[in-house]
Amino acid sequence: MAGLGSTAKAPSLPPPRPKSPPEYPDLYGKRRELAKVQMLEREIRFLEDELKFVEGLQPASRSCKDVADYATANSDPLMPATKRVHRSCCFWKWLCGSSCFSFSWICCQGCVPHLEIPRCCGCSNLCDCSISSSCPSSCPSCTSIRCSKPKCHCCSCSCFSSLCFRKPACGLSCRIPKCPSCSNCCFCNGCTSCYPKCLKVNLCNGCCTKGCCYNCYICY
Amino acid sequence: MSVAELKDRHLAATQTVSALRDRLKQKRLLLLDTDVAGYSRSQGRTPVSFGPTDLVCCRTLQGHNGKVYSLDWTPEKNRIVSASQDGRLIVWNALTSQKTHAIKLPCAWVMTCAFSPTGQSVACGGLDSVCSIFNLNSPTDRDGNLPVSKMLSGHKGYVSSCQYVPDEDAHLITSSGDQTCGLWDITTGLRTSVFGGEFQSGHTADVLSVSINGSNSRMFVSGSCDSTARLWDTRVASRAVRTFHGHEGDVNAVKFFPDGNRFGTGSDDGTCRLFDIRTGHQLQVYYQQHGDNEVPPVTSIAFSISGRLLFAGYSNGDCYVWDTLLGQVVLNLGTLQNSHEGRISCLGLSADGSALCTGSWDSNLKIWAFGGHRKVI
Repeated sequence: MAGLGSTAKAPSLPPPRPKSPPEYPDLYGKRRELAKVQMLEREIRFLEDELKFVEGLQPASRSCKDVADYATANSDPLMPATKRVHRSCCFWKWLCGSSCFSFSWICCQGCVPHLEIPRCCGCSNLCDCSISSSCPSSCPSCTSIRCSKPKCHCCSCSCFSSLCFRKPACGLSCRIPKCPSCSNCCFCNGCTSCYPKCLKVNLCNGCCTKGCCYNCYICY
Repeated sequence: MSVAELKDRHLAATQTVSALRDRLKQKRLLLLDTDVAGYSRSQGRTPVSFGPTDLVCCRTLQGHNGKVYSLDWTPEKNRIVSASQDGRLIVWNALTSQKTHAIKLPCAWVMTCAFSPTGQSVACGGLDSVCSIFNLNSPTDRDGNLPVSKMLSGHKGYVSSCQYVPDEDAHLITSSGDQTCGLWDITTGLRTSVFGGEFQSGHTADVLSVSINGSNSRMFVSGSCDSTARLWDTRVASRAVRTFHGHEGDVNAVKFFPDGNRFGTGSDDGTCRLFDIRTGHQLQVYYQQHGDNEVPPVTSIAFSISGRLLFAGYSNGDCYVWDTLLGQVVLNLGTLQNSHEGRISCLGLSADGSALCTGSWDSNLKIWAFGGHRKVI
């Protein structure tokens, strides 16, 4: 019979001592770090080679002379300078078109006031698709040249004039790209690589969420 | 070696690189005894002087419904391809202003376009990270669209610029937001070489532009958001031949000087610069205050056929014509009659040098040519 008041303790279990996970070598991080160091050491070699190269260089004035000699040695159709006019001189075609080409340069000078292709359909401004009424429907002055621009109402079917452009009538749908969903709007790899400087192209504001294109300023 | 030791080595190497770069910069500065403008003034060069109607807009190409982002001329005939935010490429007869093709793109977010040397195909690229090739002689599909004849996939970022290798319809070079440039074989659709990228010595930020040397098509330059331009040899993709420092902002545009031994750049810092590829010297800075202390970025550049003129488009709509020798602005196409109503996003010279085409965010392209008198001798 166990005595009353016996105070013998049951043997207690040792306190739990959770083990830390074993220390696995961070091979990926180490290799990456090693690769970066190797790149830098290669860059050091390149820079040392470059320093040796620069030691033997001539001053910039020599190259400047080459530039000046070259730029003044050749004729230039866009330069306002004395030049010998050849029959095959090509720049008159821009002023007169083929109808004047066979005439003397006097004709071409006479063409100067009429250089400009009349604005399509009397539109003083471009057809702004955000303002559907900005492009008048009549063409008061364009008799020989048809308007080649689609009319406003941009997102409906529009045709290029058959005179201006070889396309079957109204097979074309006028599509202004809308702001795409975020899954398409950022083409950065994994999106995290967008930060700190991502693209130089800018999609419509608000189309990218933080998770996709954070700090991804783009001007498109 | 432990990671901690590697990190120490990394830090030491970074400091060494920085010190060497400073030494290199100082040595180069000592060699800059003059610039092109200083030399030209010393030689008594006459400045270029344009009359009010010397350079005129003689064509306005209307048809895009959105911002024009890129344009390219055919190497021989007078055709232009343009790319726009409206998701189309348009091929124009530049003399008659007629459109010969309007190509609806599979990805509307196009940033660049280029004509092949023979003029038979066009390439484009953009946010889809793919460079798409269209054969202009292909039959259209049921919907009247020109099908893609090849897709060049491989870049991990947007395609910012593309250019066919001169005289080679089967090869082109691209630049990308993934910090690399690529040389492609269009026949196989494969990327032959990658210039730069992770673990290679190349740009450290988005690459925005390329220009292939017309005198030696194995060499090309690229401009990047890392503020540098780099010269590459297509036979050696592992590292750039030379890196050109100087700009203080993204290098948006690069273009070879006509002699093939120099190239120009245009940057977010508002300057254009001229560099020598053989020596690495920065030969000239082209900068002029625009007023109101604004410094609009340079978006695009082109040299005239002699190299005497440098055309530079700016984000505020200006299009300066620089006298490359005297470093002065001689004309601003942005203030002429019938000029663009928005940012100049791209420009290019015709193959014979007789006309300049500019593209703008106002959705138009304009062609500029000499309209003045020449003294006949």
